[in-house]
Formats: sequence, structure tokens, C-alpha cells
Amino acid sequence: MKYSLSACLLLALSLTTGCKPAGSSNEASGKKKVAFVSNGVASFWTIAASGVKAAGEKFGVDAQTLMPTQGIVDQKRIIEDLLSKGIDGISVSPIDPANQTDILNTAAKRTKLITNDSDAPASERLVYIGMDNYKAGRLCGELVREAMPSGGSVMLYIGRLEQDNAKSRRQGCIDGMLGRSEDPKRFDPPNDVIEEAGFKILGTLTDNFDQAKAKANVEDTLSRYPEVGGLVGLFVYNPPLIMEVLSQANKLGQIKVVAFDEDDKTLKAIQEGHIHSTVVQNPYMYGYKSVEVLSELAKGNVSVIPANKMIDIPARQIRKADVDAFWADLKAKLGK
Amino acid sequence: MKKALGISILLVIVCIATAMASESFLSSYNLENLIRRTALLGIISIGVGFVIVTGGIDLSIGSVICLVGCGLPWLLTTQHWSLPAALVVSLVVPMLIGLFHGLIITKLRIQSFVVTLCGLLLYRGVSRGFTNDQTVGFGTGFDGLRALATGQISLPFIEGFKLPAPCVFLVVIAIASAVFLNYSVYGRYLFALGRNEQAARFSGINTGRMTILAYVICSALAGFGGLLFVLDVNSAQPADFGNFYESYAIAAAVLGGCSLRGGEASILGVIVGAALIQVLRNMITLTTNHQNMEFAIIAIVLLVGVISDELMKRWLVRRRMARDLQ
Repeated sequence: MKYSLSACLLLALSLTTGCKPAGSSNEASGKKKVAFVSNGVASFWTIAASGVKAAGEKFGVDAQTLMPTQGIVDQKRIIEDLLSKGIDGISVSPIDPANQTDILNTAAKRTKLITNDSDAPASERLVYIGMDNYKAGRLCGELVREAMPSGGSVMLYIGRLEQDNAKSRRQGCIDGMLGRSEDPKRFDPPNDVIEEAGFKILGTLTDNFDQAKAKANVEDTLSRYPEVGGLVGLFVYNPPLIMEVLSQANKLGQIKVVAFDEDDKTLKAIQEGHIHSTVVQNPYMYGYKSVEVLSELAKGNVSVIPANKMIDIPARQIRKADVDAFWADLKAKLGK
Repeated sequence: MKKALGISILLVIVCIATAMASESFLSSYNLENLIRRTALLGIISIGVGFVIVTGGIDLSIGSVICLVGCGLPWLLTTQHWSLPAALVVSLVVPMLIGLFHGLIITKLRIQSFVVTLCGLLLYRGVSRGFTNDQTVGFGTGFDGLRALATGQISLPFIEGFKLPAPCVFLVVIAIASAVFLNYSVYGRYLFALGRNEQAARFSGINTGRMTILAYVICSALAGFGGLLFVLDVNSAQPADFGNFYESYAIAAAVLGGCSLRGGEASILGVIVGAALIQVLRNMITLTTNHQNMEFAIIAIVLLVGVISDELMKRWLVRRRMARDLQ
């Protein structure tokens, strides 16, 4: 009985999947299919998804956004599933580019592969769309100098340091803060205390996307270093949690906070003056440009790829004076 | 009380070592944070303790935390439900989940590991579905409600230290649980059923009903914990909120003297176990710059704790036997 049941299941499976050719285009509508794969789930990627959607409508392609929830294993599964489903192009934000060359190259062989947000230069991706995280980090570091003109001790918070964009962003922030020369290859170990140029960088605390842990990190910093002068939240959810802790400890305004990304709570805190400023990427354009490039590539137009294989979407600094205009534009893009 | 002795000694040792290494450990701010975190973990650990007593396991705790943690802000801010309605749903749904687990486990006789593993996937999937994978939170509102988790209570005669509100919930839940387990006939039934289910059933205990009750308590406390967690953090990301928390809860319960074979538990021990885990995590951020070693350090201390506890128990048994022989 058991065997006949599983045989029936197998038969049913082979009928539903096997009969379909592994062709790529959506034959019913004749539309090309492209996919945008994020490195996790965050409001940042929701903004990118709205860019993906807008560009899909503009360029007449079937554009889909996929967000892996369980890190690298999940991202690999999503890419593999897209390949087996048949897809005309994928834009991916690799979680650990150096160690994902295999799957990225497999994808590059079977479809048009580009990267966004975090690059994988060692892979056969056609082009990278994103900002230079090192430069964006430097912009953030400069804002710390601006917020703390006479220096002081600073703690950095970030989700995790495995991914290239996080590493470069953190290093850029440190180099920008300390006024060092530009060198994207430099790497200060996260456990070391750095004392330079009037600043004392106490360390970099990671939370692996566990928000309770991220909050605990900030609380523990206040316990261990009551004299800390500045807190820098480098991933989108870090600054709101810093605000949460400072307001509970009645320390709003006493400690300088510099942020990264454009969470609503971060923008609100800039309006209120509790966060000095933030550096924003343009995730909407990551999504939009990815779909634009992929749809051109699917048509066979390779002229969209520049010689240096990078389409730069630069980051911007947002201070109190710019925040209202920026927020209004963001809401318009999100269709709020 | 005896069961919690070994683990309490370990907690004291870790606390003394941390206090010696970092003067900020004993600051009132840090102690307040620690007590709040311990209370949150303690509440969900007591819940899983009830299930472990029966010889079962609940792997769905983290996802139930996620379901309530995302559901409450979602109901309030996106669906604009009234506060009482949203609160009632947030507290009742976890109980129904527990009832659902308990019924499948007892009536269909499917192993709790499998049932709650499916629960782990199911409730996280549902949370991600109804929130559309979006971060949900209370924004700047609901301060009164959030005081349940972030509020602080001034203590008479103690200046500069305020008791975090979740601690009150922990104390109430702990006392109620301890009385129920140790001084009520139903608690005795739970122990009996954990030690030998067949024997318990043959002696006239409705073991099915007691098992279902344990799962209802466990999920209800997980849901209540999720509610406090989200009120504390103020936002929840459905993809990872509460992820892995069942492991911490089970670890706290086992450290606190609950045997995974069933039939043994100590509520005080569970709370001490939860405190130990939170103190270890706090110790690593306060005294070292090697945060990446966190899991390894926790694992080693916990393993040392469990092993020494076991060896001490055996030594006590041998000593008693030797004395009886004389």
C-alpha cells in the first residue's frame, strides 16, 4: 500500500513538472521573466521591490522580488529554484560573495546574472549595480566627525560582518571618521580598540539580525562604557534600536548617534534632532536599474554593461535640513 | 530546591567572575537590563518546563513568539483593532495552538517533536504571510501598553534601582507554576505521567487531559513572552523574530533541573537557568571583545554546568547509600 501510494505521488510529480519544458520565457504572455533576490528581509528590500515592480511595468517584463529568510542556504535554494523554473535574468545580492562563487557561476551559465547591493567580483556576473560601500561608509564616518568635532569614544553596530558590503561599509566608516587615506583593502579586526585622531573606536558589535540581541548590545555598551560619546548603527534596524535604548535610559541627546539607511524611525529621530544624520542608499534604484538592465540583456542588448562592470548608484548624506524633502520623495516611491 | 543548587552555584560563580572583570556589571542600569532579559526568557522557559515534565518537547516556541510578536502590532497599527480585542486575540490564539498540539499528540499519538516541529514552520510561515514579510512595530504610540515590558517600578528604601515590570510577571507566573506543580494534585499527576505514563494511566489519571494542559500552558506562556518581547523591542521582523529562542528556553529548563526524560522539574531552577544564559551573554559583551565566540563560551559553561550537576547528584546518591549501609 505504501509503495503504491508513493508510486502514485512520483507519477503525479513527474506529470506536473516533467511535461513542462525548461524554457525560460513565460510562453502564455510572451513576457520575459526576471528575478531580484535580496540578502534577507528588511524594509530596505521593500523599497527595492517597489523599484523592481515599477521597472517591470515600464519595460514590460515579468519582474519578481524574492527575499531569503534563512541566510545563505535559503538564498542558494531560491537561486536554484529560479534556475530550474526557467528565468531570463537574475539580480542577486550575495550574502557571502567569496564563498558563493559556485552557485553564482552556475546561475551565470544558465541565465543572465547580475549582482546588486553587494558585489561578487570573483564570479562571472555581468555587471554590479550598487554603491561603493566603502565610499558610503566614508560618508558616514565624515558625519561622525561632524557630529563629534572634538572626537571621543564611539561604538559601531552592524548585523553581521561576513558580507562584503558590511565589511567595506564598516571599514569606510572607520577610515572616514579617523580621516585616513582611501584604502578599501584596509581591515581593522572588529575586536580591536582603535585610538587615532582624537577618536577611540571601542569595537564593532554584531547581532546576526536578532533585534533583541541588537538592543541588548546597545544596553551593554551603556553599562560598560558610561562615557561613550557616539553610537553608529550601520544596518537599517540598528539606529531605531539605539533610539529605543537611549530613550529608555533617558540619554536622548546626550550621546551622538549617526545612522545608516532610511528607516522611518531613523528619519523621525533626525527630524527631532536625536539622530545627527544618516547615509542613505538608493534601494529603489537598485531594483529599478536591475530590471532595466536584465530586460535589455534578455533582448540581447549588451551595450548596457559599462567597461568597468559597475553601475554606480551613489549614496547620499541626509541631515536635519534635508530630511523632510527626502522622506516625502521616499513615501511617493513607496506609494504611501 | 536541591535541584537548583548546582546551577545556582554556577550562576553565582559566573556573576562574581563577571563583577570582578567589569565594574559596570553590578551597575543598577546593567542589573535592570539583566533582570528584564531574564524575566522574558524565564517566562517562556517555565512554559517549556511544563511540557518537558511530561516527557515531551515543544520546538514551536520561537515561532509562537513570532506569531504574537508580529500579530499584536499588526492588529493594532495595520488592522486598527481596538486594544482589548487585539490583546485578547494575542493571548487566546497561543492557547488554541497549545490545545491543537496537545490534541494531535494525545489523540493521534504523534510524537511531540514532529508536531511542534511542524508548528515551528507553520506559525513562522503564517506570520510572514499576514505581515507580507514586512517589519511591524508600534511606532511612537502605545506607550502605556509598552510599559508592561519597559516600565519600571520604584522600590521602597532602594535608591537608583528600579524593578523592570516583566519581573513582576515572572514572579507571579513562577509562584503560580510552583504551587501548581508541587502542591496541587494536578501537578503530582504531571510528574507521575512524566515518570511512567502507562502506570499513571492505569492508576486512574486522565493522562491525555494532563498532557494537553501542559501544551496549552507552554504555548500560552510563549505567546505571553512574545507579547512582552515585542513590547520591549518595539518592532518585529517576521523572518527572524524569536528565531532560535526555543533552544534557549529548552536549555534554561534543562539546566534548571528538568529532565528531558520527563518527571522532573524545578521552577526555581528554570529561572536560575534563564538567568545564567542571560548573564553569560551579558558577560561576553561586558568583559571581552570576542563577541563572535559567544555561542562557544555559552556552550562550554552550560556543558560544564550540566556535567558537574550530574556528577554531584551521583556523589550524593552514593554517599546516601553508603550511609544507609552502615
